[in-house]
Amino acid sequence: MAYVATRGGERAIEQAERLFRAEMGEITEARVAEIKAAMPYLIDRVMGEASLYDEDLAALALAQTGGELFEAVLVLRAWRTTQPRLQVADPITQDALFTHRRISAAFKDIPGGQVLGPTLDYSHRILATDVLNGFPFKPAEVEPAAQPAPAYQPSVAAWQADNDLVDLPPIDDTAPEDIPDVTREPLLFPAKRAHTLQSLARAETGGALALGYAAMRGYGQAHPTVNELRLAEADIMVRHPNGTAFSAGRVKVSQAEVVSKKGEKLELGFAATLGWNEVKCISAATLDLNSAGAEKGSATEEEFFIYHTEGVESSGFCIHFKLPHYVTFQSSLDAMRDAKAKAASRKEPAE
Amino acid sequence: MSLATLTKNWEPMSYGFLDASAKREIRRKMLKAVAVPGCQMPYASREVPMARGWGTGGLQVSLTLMNPSKRVKVIDQGADDSVNAASIRRFLARVSGAPTTLDTLEADLIQSRHRIPEEKLREDQVLVLQVPNPEPLRPVQPNMSIARQMHADADYGRMWLQLYEQIVRSGRVMQGASYPSLVNGRHVMTPSPIPRWDVPKLHMAKHLTILSAGREKRIHAVPPFTRVEPLVFDDVPYKVEDHGGLTCNRSGAKGFFMNEIPQDDGSSTYEISDSEFGVKTIKQAEGERVEFGETWYTDGEMPS
Repeated sequence: MAYVATRGGERAIEQAERLFRAEMGEITEARVAEIKAAMPYLIDRVMGEASLYDEDLAALALAQTGGELFEAVLVLRAWRTTQPRLQVADPITQDALFTHRRISAAFKDIPGGQVLGPTLDYSHRILATDVLNGFPFKPAEVEPAAQPAPAYQPSVAAWQADNDLVDLPPIDDTAPEDIPDVTREPLLFPAKRAHTLQSLARAETGGALALGYAAMRGYGQAHPTVNELRLAEADIMVRHPNGTAFSAGRVKVSQAEVVSKKGEKLELGFAATLGWNEVKCISAATLDLNSAGAEKGSATEEEFFIYHTEGVESSGFCIHFKLPHYVTFQSSLDAMRDAKAKAASRKEPAE
Repeated sequence: MSLATLTKNWEPMSYGFLDASAKREIRRKMLKAVAVPGCQMPYASREVPMARGWGTGGLQVSLTLMNPSKRVKVIDQGADDSVNAASIRRFLARVSGAPTTLDTLEADLIQSRHRIPEEKLREDQVLVLQVPNPEPLRPVQPNMSIARQMHADADYGRMWLQLYEQIVRSGRVMQGASYPSLVNGRHVMTPSPIPRWDVPKLHMAKHLTILSAGREKRIHAVPPFTRVEPLVFDDVPYKVEDHGGLTCNRSGAKGFFMNEIPQDDGSSTYEISDSEFGVKTIKQAEGERVEFGETWYTDGEMPS
């Protein structure tokens, strides 16, 4: 019997992958299209965490991984790695966002008005079980308002700044190609502002919520008030080599701005991401709000939350514990046994 | 002359998966790491088609160093046929066209998780170690920014204290694998979770070792002929695993690092951890002509 007989590794992994893919069945364009049409919020979540805006690719990633979200995000991020960086789009301000939903919890009414847009917030969460008995769920028709809400809305913080309630951060006029990119350069602390916002935009939703919720519950000093929450579409303005600016299309974005009283002024926390994802934006903005001066090692400290809300890294590390660890384990066993033997030999013999 | 003659045809993926800018960054960071032995160099660390924690740091270094004539060996916990080693080897070959090998002597590039082969590496070979946690100070200081400052100040007092406390409590240093080691008399590094058995192999070695943590985005290196000294007190010598007297149950190889295999009767047998060394030993016993390299250990002892 030789060692060679145990070389089943390559075949085993191939068959294990086949087993997974066989259960998933054939993946067709129609399946991808159905996922894209049926699950826009899931697509948005995946695109945000992957920091790659492409609904078709996101739907394909979900189809390919059977909806294993961490795997779907990983496959998109790995694909993203291989893509060239052609252009950096122009920065966009809040009042230039094509806004679908925009609410503020700070004031009853705000300039531009509260626009509820599409939401389940006030719905009764009742499962439509009739669908399973052959009665399709047909959504009731939407009655348009007499006066449509304006698509472009000013920012609430701008009004507060005019009233000397908040100091807006200085305008950052870094040239587009000089904006630090967390996917292409090392992340160091204290983090560059761009790296913090990019990391929060890419954060895993559940992770951002877990740490954000810890801050909301009391492990953070600042209690967030949602100053403004927006679901919108942003124009991607890029430039032709001859200088002409043009829109390459619109992408769905969401952003949250939370405030807290700090002395006589309000303090701002901000987060934005690709796709519509309210829970992530409010959580991430709460972390941002609490991060200034947070104690090292606390959940609201920048290094702590940026590292621990990174979904691809955290999930990868978690599943790596499935890999064999017998060398390290053997090494520990050796130290334990030796220490035990030493302890036994030190014990005085009984009289 | 047309544009077509000046450009390459479109391909869905760059040679060796990573694009040129990613490779350039890794090359630069490797050079920095070689220039300051044992010092952790932050790098961007791209996402690759493998989960973080599964060797993505080692993979990026290998992908950067690969070319079609580099012969590559991949091991995981000493074994070439471990599923993850097989997966990484397949990926490296697939995206670079490089030939692969299981024999340490034939390899130009060895990517390894948690072992250094038992046969000595040469000047022309590069060892890439996968690193889960690049920070030896993590047990005493989990915050990376503070730990970075501690390295800058060569502030290793807490590290020493931890080792001292272990000796007081347990009569010995309890560190298993990843034994913290002083590189070139300046930086304390983790040698990655290689067993204590393997750490002396790095000291004044002829080969270059690159240690890369993809998830944690740090590269450090041990250049050839560099001092690597495990942190020990003068009166408590460094102790490798007590494997020098063990014999491999399958191959008969003796005096190397072993895997313990629990038996039904409550006892244990042992199998050599460096699987290809075991295979060569078996082949030789079966009468095949096999070439063995010089080993770091002889008769279970590391000659000083």
